Amino acid sequence: MILENLKLAIASIKANKMRSFLTMLGIIIGISSVIAIMTVGNSLTKAEQESMSSMGANNIMVGVYSASDDSVTLPTFSEENMQSIVKAYGNRIKAIGMESQVGSGTSRSQVSSDSKTTSVTVDGVNPGYFKANNISIIKGSTFSSSTYESGSNVAIVSDVFAEAIFGSVEDAMGESVEINVDNNYTNYTIVGAYKFENTGTLGTKKSTTFFIPIKAAENQLHNSDIYGFTVVAKDGSDSAALAKDIKTLIKKQIKIEEGVTLYADSMQSYIEEASKMLGTITIAIAMIAGIALLVGGIGVMNIMTVSITERTREIGTRKALGAENYQILLQFVTEAIILCLFGGIIGVIIGVSLGLVAASAIGYAGSISIASVLGSVGFSMAVGLFFGYAPARKAAKMNPIDALRYE
Amino acid sequence: MQIINGKTQFEPPVIHAENIVKTYYPGTENELEILHGINLEIQRGEFVSIVGQSGSGKSTLMNILGLLDRPTKGSYFMNGENMNAAPDKALAHIRNKSIGFVFQNYNLIARTNGISNVELPMLYAGMSPRARKERAIQLLEMVGMQERMDHTPDELSGGQKQRVAIARAMANDPDVILADEPTGALDSKTGHLVMDIFHRLHEEEHKTIILITHSNELAAETNRIIHIKDGEIVPA
Repeated sequence: MILENLKLAIASIKANKMRSFLTMLGIIIGISSVIAIMTVGNSLTKAEQESMSSMGANNIMVGVYSASDDSVTLPTFSEENMQSIVKAYGNRIKAIGMESQVGSGTSRSQVSSDSKTTSVTVDGVNPGYFKANNISIIKGSTFSSSTYESGSNVAIVSDVFAEAIFGSVEDAMGESVEINVDNNYTNYTIVGAYKFENTGTLGTKKSTTFFIPIKAAENQLHNSDIYGFTVVAKDGSDSAALAKDIKTLIKKQIKIEEGVTLYADSMQSYIEEASKMLGTITIAIAMIAGIALLVGGIGVMNIMTVSITERTREIGTRKALGAENYQILLQFVTEAIILCLFGGIIGVIIGVSLGLVAASAIGYAGSISIASVLGSVGFSMAVGLFFGYAPARKAAKMNPIDALRYE
Repeated sequence: MQIINGKTQFEPPVIHAENIVKTYYPGTENELEILHGINLEIQRGEFVSIVGQSGSGKSTLMNILGLLDRPTKGSYFMNGENMNAAPDKALAHIRNKSIGFVFQNYNLIARTNGISNVELPMLYAGMSPRARKERAIQLLEMVGMQERMDHTPDELSGGQKQRVAIARAMANDPDVILADEPTGALDSKTGHLVMDIFHRLHEEEHKTIILITHSNELAAETNRIIHIKDGEIVPA
């Protein structure tokens, strides 16, 4: 019986190709716009997630900010704060990265007989900074604990800088560079080189960033304020819980003025929040596109009503031959569902193509939302069922003799 | 009454109508009584014609006899069972199994070939696809349509369409065939061919056939003629 109804439905759709196509057009436009938007949204969300994960999914950002315009003094963090965190939660922590953005200045280096000057940015960091921010040291090493604690004049430069000034990373090792920040001139010895990348934390920095020990920044450049640091949770430990614990601990240690907020947010929570926000926006737009689908559904209802009116005598004949009401109902509901299903499938194909093209046009790798594809196909069938039911029921309830006599 | 195994058994008539009244729009200004109390009995195996002018109420009567419509008053028994109280679902079932309709305008399902048209009552009866097809082909052969049974109605002539319709009426081996002006849309030669099929069904298959017609000439071919005039059965 179901197979017969499917055959009948397909035959009826084929018999009125143009009309069927125009009916499906509403569904096609509705579904394809929903799918296209979902595909773009999904691509965006995924790209955002990946970019945030590349900064370290286990990272916890701790810092302070002032929301008010009034001049407030932001508290700074100290080495002691870090030590207390390590002492309390060391078993859950992989690394802690501290950074003091000293400022920008110039570097001068003597290469052979030439002296080369470059604009640089100087950051005071701790040895854990590199691990915490996924910065790979490709030559030399990070600061040893003795050079770090004594605040020696050592620096780690990027591969890009080393190659530009010294020809190669190897040649840069052990070379001396004179740094001038606010007219404080100091010589630094290059002890390591990091690989510069355009992603993650380094993506926010320039290739001319000099990393020096925090204490060195304090000693020679007189600027070592730390307004934030990064804690990397060990894999498998709950970074959100750790973030909460660290916040509680730090709150007791530093003085926080009115209007200043201390935060300790896990990257995980950022990712979740960003995904949630993008998801909400996507769904909101998709719902607007869903209005097209609703209009399409009304088109289906309209056509089913016409189709049933046209075939009133056929319904009468079927009833005379012994069709029960449910069989007539099933026949026309099946036809509406099949019509919408075809429209839905075509809409999905168009929507996915449009979405992928649009995503790549705005520079994201396309990502198909399987859930929305399945959902749309299911939803288009539901549209058929919903909008096909009323006309089909009208047909099914028709008095056989009235249907047969219909002119 | 008939005698089976030496015993007298009473077999109810296929059709038994008692004082059937049909009123359209009852209780309104336009109230119109079409049938004024029809009493009718048709036994198994009869070939009966119901003759009347258009507007005599013969079509209304046929609709009631065919369970397509319900009488306003009176009782209608089929095979001895009272149809008045039967729900719509039961009527659909009886139409499917016990009545074969042949209409003046054929009422074949458009865009559907002869075999599928003949299969339709069997489909609604829940027969298996294979058995359906086998019987449909057999019936189409019986009415001489073996050559064109995979043609759709718009590829068939009037006479051919009516032959498919007769095959369809026979699909579930009904107790009675109701033919409403079956030759009304055909020329006389084709009409005779169609009448020949009814005669064959009556003589060879012992089918009970009710022919509704306005033609005295066609009616004369049947065993019994019931004249209907102004909603009442009148003597010839």
